[in-house]
Amino acid sequence: MKKEKLFIVLLSCILLMGCADQKILERIGLVTLIGYDVEEEEKISATVVIRQINPEFQSKVEVQTETENTSKGTRISIDRKTAKQIAAGQLRVVLFGEDLAKKSIEHPIHTFMMNNEISTSIYLAVVRGDAQSLLAYPYENVTDVGQHIYNLIDHNIEQQQTISSTLHEIVRDDYSDVRNFALPILLKKGENIQLDGIALFKKGKMVGELPANDIFYIMIMTNKLDNGTVELTLDGETLNNNKFKDEQLQIAVDSIKTKRKIKVVNSKQNEFNLTVNMDCRLLEIDSKVSLTDPKVYEDIERAMSEKIKKEMMKTLKYSQEVDSDIYGFGEQFRSQVRDSNLTEEKWSELFQNMKVNFDVNVEIVRNGVFE
Amino acid sequence: MFRDIKKKSSPTNQAEKDKPKEIPIPTSKLEFLKKIKEETNEPADLIVKKISESITIVFLDFLIDQNTLNEQILTTLEKMNDATPNIIKENLLISEVDLTSELNKSIFEMLIGAVLIHVEGQSELVIAKISSYQSRGLTAPENESQVIGSQVGFNESLPTNISLIRRYITNPNLCNEKFMLGKETNTSISVLYIKGIASEQNVNTVRQRIKELEISDLLDSAVLAELIDDNSFSIFPQLLLTERPDRFSDGLLSGKVGIIVNGSSMGILSPYTFVEFFQSREDQNLRWPIATFVRLLRFAAIFISIFMTPLYVAALTFHYEVIPQPLLVPLSESRSIVPFPPIIEALFLELIIELLREAGARLPTKVGQTIGIVGGIVLGTAAVQAGITSNILIIIIALCALSSFTTPNYLMGNVIRVVRFPIIVLAGFWGFYGVMFAFCMILIHLIRQSSLGVPYTAPIYPPRWRDWPDSIVRLPLPFINRQSIINKPKNSNTTEEEKVNK
Amino acid sequence: MRTALQINNNEKINASLLFFVVLSTQIGVGIHGFQRIIVEDVGNSAWISVILATLFSHIAVFFMIKTLKLYPSNDLYGIHQEIFGKYFGNFLNLIYITYCSFAFYTVIRNYIEVINTWVFPNLAQAFISVSLLILVIYAFTGGLRVMVGVCFFSFMVSLWILVIVFFPLKYAHYNHLLPLFHTDFISLIKGAYSMTFTIVGFEIINVIYPFAKEKEKASKYVHLGLLFTMVVYLIIIVISTVYFSEAQLKKTVWATLTLFSVIKLPFIERIEIITICFWLIIILPNLCLFAWSAYRGVIRIKKIKETTFILVFSVLILIANIPILTRAQINRFDHYFSQIAFYIVFFYPFLLYMIALSKKLLKKRERSN
Repeated sequence: MKKEKLFIVLLSCILLMGCADQKILERIGLVTLIGYDVEEEEKISATVVIRQINPEFQSKVEVQTETENTSKGTRISIDRKTAKQIAAGQLRVVLFGEDLAKKSIEHPIHTFMMNNEISTSIYLAVVRGDAQSLLAYPYENVTDVGQHIYNLIDHNIEQQQTISSTLHEIVRDDYSDVRNFALPILLKKGENIQLDGIALFKKGKMVGELPANDIFYIMIMTNKLDNGTVELTLDGETLNNNKFKDEQLQIAVDSIKTKRKIKVVNSKQNEFNLTVNMDCRLLEIDSKVSLTDPKVYEDIERAMSEKIKKEMMKTLKYSQEVDSDIYGFGEQFRSQVRDSNLTEEKWSELFQNMKVNFDVNVEIVRNGVFE
Repeated sequence: MFRDIKKKSSPTNQAEKDKPKEIPIPTSKLEFLKKIKEETNEPADLIVKKISESITIVFLDFLIDQNTLNEQILTTLEKMNDATPNIIKENLLISEVDLTSELNKSIFEMLIGAVLIHVEGQSELVIAKISSYQSRGLTAPENESQVIGSQVGFNESLPTNISLIRRYITNPNLCNEKFMLGKETNTSISVLYIKGIASEQNVNTVRQRIKELEISDLLDSAVLAELIDDNSFSIFPQLLLTERPDRFSDGLLSGKVGIIVNGSSMGILSPYTFVEFFQSREDQNLRWPIATFVRLLRFAAIFISIFMTPLYVAALTFHYEVIPQPLLVPLSESRSIVPFPPIIEALFLELIIELLREAGARLPTKVGQTIGIVGGIVLGTAAVQAGITSNILIIIIALCALSSFTTPNYLMGNVIRVVRFPIIVLAGFWGFYGVMFAFCMILIHLIRQSSLGVPYTAPIYPPRWRDWPDSIVRLPLPFINRQSIINKPKNSNTTEEEKVNK
Repeated sequence: MRTALQINNNEKINASLLFFVVLSTQIGVGIHGFQRIIVEDVGNSAWISVILATLFSHIAVFFMIKTLKLYPSNDLYGIHQEIFGKYFGNFLNLIYITYCSFAFYTVIRNYIEVINTWVFPNLAQAFISVSLLILVIYAFTGGLRVMVGVCFFSFMVSLWILVIVFFPLKYAHYNHLLPLFHTDFISLIKGAYSMTFTIVGFEIINVIYPFAKEKEKASKYVHLGLLFTMVVYLIIIVISTVYFSEAQLKKTVWATLTLFSVIKLPFIERIEIITICFWLIIILPNLCLFAWSAYRGVIRIKKIKETTFILVFSVLILIANIPILTRAQINRFDHYFSQIAFYIVFFYPFLLYMIALSKKLLKKRERSN
């Protein structure tokens, strides 16, 4: 009996001691998207999209903006304005205004990594202009701008139409000495929000941008492509066909499998060989081209290889100009050359003087049910 | 009912004191009748019949077979006028006849169902045992039904039940030991086991535990099970109670020790481990892939039943980050109309389901079914519309309740339902940590538990790899060892290891 | 021999269960953040350090078992008393008991820290300790069989984590592993040394060996357990190396938990919250068996009942948990502990074996003279 009494006393002590902080789902304001902009005097302005759970009201989200010194400071200020406590556990997307991106985003992402509430799979993106105007605008067709932007970025990443920019990958590349990251750019155009391009970063600052169509070539060079669709304009001369001598042939292909290999050929002079083997599927081509002739395929393949090579060279040259290695050449160098002892500055120098020999082999595997 | 229950008390002194004095039988008829009426407090069903000048018979009405009495005893006795008890005993065409010179023993026999024949001037009585009493006809067992398989269940009469078992096991090694328990009720119980298959150790343990019991009455086998098990404080049953003779026989053939109590339609089997509570006879009747699927379904059902509601409560109260995005909107919208925190909502709904279930069990069948349906659907919908609960929680709770009914054993099903409540409370206060704490607590409790000395979690732990094919899954017959090691049988292989399908 | 143990046959455990015992006592709280410590010294060849550390542990176990075999049916405490006499032997036993208690305290401390950082920032530390201690007391009072059962079930129930840990490979950059073999040997040894905190736990066989049924098979299972732990650590360190970049890894305090953060299953996200709460059952065997080995030592010095011991022990741990330590203090404490553990677990068995062997040889020479 003595043992039982002791046990009961102990039990009651425990019950009095431990109180975990409750965060009941419908009593907290779930932040699904945050947009950061830079304000004067080093202050940071946060626009927060909070999910509202009131079936009677029409608008599903509440958008709040505050300007403070730190992002936690903005959270405190927003708490003072909202009916429910703010909780960031369901955060999915973070947007940065263009000015903030050009200044530096290293501080915000460091804050996110420190926070245990926030998952490392959130998406980051840059907004042309400032985030607040994109988020606060009363869209006609979009009821939940947070969910909308998340779905927009998510399905494009699935289809490999834009670069995957989870927080984990960004932080990983940011802290790696020999690699840089890129973020998608969002643009508000009328009633729509669209992905407008890719922003290249160096040391957390935005240094350049590429048009959205170039994603295909970026993806090939980073060896992540197995699903992308691209539209190519082939020059008539490369086709070796009388019909198209002076014209351009528009085709659309869907890639089935892409393999790319980077090899360091000459480490002293920083020369790489980039080999791309691409199996693709022909989606759309001018109906005058007769697809029953196997020689036509060879011509198209050759023309495609040339075009892709040209475009990749162009993209790479631009990246070298802005000194942003998003493709992983630095990592390849470090992994293939022993004792390379690469530092950030050393690689930066090497990258800008890098020479790459492209070799593209395209093979059209399938082409639809009607020839 | 439990006035005088003593387990393992000091042995002989108490017994000596309680043993009644031996009263000799009075030789005079009038004295004898007076003594009998005094000892039995003159019950209304005591019948005294004078056969002749010297012979009198006494018996209790409705406890004896009237036909035998009239045709055999009365006709024979009429012809014997001056017979001694010995001659009467030899001439009576009854299978069980006895002579006694103790009054208490004869009264006891009369209470079971015997006719006492007193001869004037003799101090010995003839006891003719011709008991017969009404018992329920054999019907299908109510609480353990199977889709395919035999449909006969035990009833409340001990001889009938033993005869049912003997029909399944026609084996001279089936031993039957009789005990009488309960000071006031003198209930007879039978301990059954198959010599050569059951281990001596198990039989001795059961025997010893029964002998050490000192209780005032014993009305049901469930009470006996609780008295002789290893740990009465535990929520988990350690002995199986079954209504099915085929399950009982299956247990005996695997080396278990069975107990049947007179007056109860449930037989006890021991030792029984946790995994075995989720096995049903039907698994042997079905083909092995289906049986394996059904067993795995049952195990999945336990986990769903115990943990789904607490996980829901924990996720919604503390860990909103765990909810994936597509679920977020429906969950939060259905919760937004509820004024209570999730733990109150969950406990409230669980309580309603338990009330429905309990009410449904007590009501007569026709009304019970209607209440079940009405209660379930109407109450559920009305509760959602009134804003007391959310849709999703109703689905979860209904799923949990359904899962808890898949256990083939009623006792274990109850355990699962009840164990859920403390876990919900823990989840409501300490989230996933609380759920994990409860899980560890239950796990340690199961590991600590033993059933008649056998570890409760056998054969999973201590791992007996040979028994794994028939525990959680049911592999085809050539792989299954008939005698599981937990029953410590003498010969562990019934058949030699030959392939069944040649 | 008067210090030898008399153990009934039904108190003994099967030798195959030693596999689970070693496995579950090794994997505890070290696995949460060990990557950072190794990568500091070794960079992307951390996986080689893991293999090296396991090699050293195999050697240490080899010597431990050899010493135990010299004195049949005796555990480490008895061997100390045999070799060094009663007083010095008990002094050494006291050191070992203190070591076990410190190991217990370290595990609880680190786990409370993880829970407070990741899941419940405001939950009272005393509450977590009390709940853990309740579980330990409940398992402890059931005896060795129950504690080994906890080890067994802890392994079986946690296997799903090994499957889930492959999901982050979606973001893997395998060239992080290259170039291979470019770090010098000294750094690799340093890396293996930093793994001490993570890999200790197998010294439990010092105390549990006499309880094993088939002694010949026991060493096989212990080595198998060490091997399996190596596989687990190897998987985690390789996945961490290809998933994180090196500089990022050096800044991530609990890399294994951050790994789980990115996994998205259809019905559940943020697996790390579930995994951290689930870790309760993974550290439970560690706690139980450390307390038990301390108990086995204490009864050599003074005979006390099991329940008294565990209650006093729990109260002491509770008192030790009252001061709230900062992250830096806990780091420092872990560092001290791993230094002590290195000497007791890796260095000392070798020494002890030499002393025991020489003593046996001396005795044999005396007898033959």
